[in-house]
Amino acid sequence: MKTVLAALLVLVLGSAPAWAVLGEYESSVSSDQKVMRGEVRAVALQGYSVQQITGADRAVVKEYVSPGGLVFGISWRGPTMPNLQQLLGSYFAEFQQAAQSRVRRRGPLVLRTDRLVVESGGHPRSFHGRAYVPSLLPKNIPAEVVR
Amino acid sequence: MSVRKGSIAKLVLSLGLSAGLLVLASCGGSSGGSSTSTNSTPVNNTQTIEVNLGPANNYVNGLFTDVTICVPGSSNCQTLDNVLVDTGSVGLRILSSQVTLSLPAISDSNGNGLQECLAFADGSYVWGPVQAADIQMAGEKAASVPLQIINAPNTGFAVPSQCVSGGGANEGTVTALAANGILGVGNFQQDCGGACTAASSQVPALYYLCPNSVCQSTSVPLANQLQNPVWLFPQDNNGVLISLPSIPADGAQTVSGSLIFGIGTQSNNGLSAAQVYTTDAYGDFQTTYNNIAYGQSYIDSGSNAFYFLDARTLGIPDCSDNAGFYCPASTINYTATNTGLNGTTAQVSFRIANADALFNANNASNAAFNDLGGDNAGSFDWGLPFFFGRNVFVGIEGQTGPNGVVGPYWAY
Repeated sequence: MKTVLAALLVLVLGSAPAWAVLGEYESSVSSDQKVMRGEVRAVALQGYSVQQITGADRAVVKEYVSPGGLVFGISWRGPTMPNLQQLLGSYFAEFQQAAQSRVRRRGPLVLRTDRLVVESGGHPRSFHGRAYVPSLLPKNIPAEVVR
Repeated sequence: MSVRKGSIAKLVLSLGLSAGLLVLASCGGSSGGSSTSTNSTPVNNTQTIEVNLGPANNYVNGLFTDVTICVPGSSNCQTLDNVLVDTGSVGLRILSSQVTLSLPAISDSNGNGLQECLAFADGSYVWGPVQAADIQMAGEKAASVPLQIINAPNTGFAVPSQCVSGGGANEGTVTALAANGILGVGNFQQDCGGACTAASSQVPALYYLCPNSVCQSTSVPLANQLQNPVWLFPQDNNGVLISLPSIPADGAQTVSGSLIFGIGTQSNNGLSAAQVYTTDAYGDFQTTYNNIAYGQSYIDSGSNAFYFLDARTLGIPDCSDNAGFYCPASTINYTATNTGLNGTTAQVSFRIANADALFNANNASNAAFNDLGGDNAGSFDWGLPFFFGRNVFVGIEGQTGPNGVVGPYWAY
């Protein structure tokens, strides 16, 4: 509940679409849809489902949900960087550490460990990326579905 | 079509009023009256650029130039060196620590100065107020251009939480940015464009107003957004040409080249044999590798390597000393195919060398590498290595180039 409230608060303040939290249970989409004034599309696929919100500023966030209701992956694209702190939830600290220990690289950022994969690329007006937790991938579902 | 300085100043004011924003300063217009058409006497359109280690002495594949800024309409100017030339962004952003001029703020009718936070793909960000200056490079001058002053002191505002939510570094110092500023000369007229003119509830989190020291994202009329200074030049305003020579496989200490303004506007900036690749509305085209198309690919002088795929897909190791770069045992040749929206398609051959070895070559004194690679997020990022040995043209949206081609496009 606290997470939902935080997400709504962020949305009201006009930030990027953010309602799914990696590694947590799927939260209400319909209430967020009203705040975002975005279009929601839910697709049930073999072994997982995808919830997609398209925001008014062309931003798209998808959450990949396991049959048990856990968000095992997220992806994004849009004109500005999304709120990764919101989207990554408890995994944000690991990404933050990787982002701040960048040496020599000037460009996209990729964090790839056994526990967490985050790929963030693009440029102003066109950012894209994805994140997933390998241990939360549903059985027989490859990481490539998160895109 | 050329843009007249006087009309820009009026545009700023009228659009500003319509959206509740005012340019407080008496900026612009004062140099009007000398408006010239595209076919006037050629001016010097060639700006020297150089790849070197930059002001922090540690930048790999950083492309730098000098930029002169002036209090609008005055001869009160200063020249900044070590400004990064970035085709992946739009607008001039300067570290406040490097600015000696007092520039007019762009503010709303209540005197709240417009602020901006630009976050990059690696989560790092630049935060600070939008001010106006005349911008001069070579013989070109754009009047009263909105630019960003990064990390300005005494604004009294905390950095908005959305701004730091990418998790990366605040690039507010020379140590962090490793440059004195960023000169964004990408495919667009403004850094945000129409998306930031939308109603505030739907606007991307880029520009902010901070009444009572509480910053909230705001919509901004086009004319008050950060501008690509090139399209505001009276001439040579349809794009740029970046020309860098070839370099050896183990790198070079410094590399000098040219940033030439205009495309097909003078004898030194014709397309010649270059092919035109138009991009989508967001500045991307398609790169195909191994029969897989990567639709959000782009050319970016501000990325310092060929960033593409990942080590597992490529079957080569990541570096042990330099995380995120590729370290094949020996140099590998790759071929990929770029395709523009206009259907132009051609192969690009490039090479990836061992980054640990590259950084240690020549007593670790080399700054420029044409065979540096690293992993990416589902696209091809043709960074600075792509520019060596090429003429790369960046066509600006809405501006007409040779043979009637209209930006956004690249040509090489």
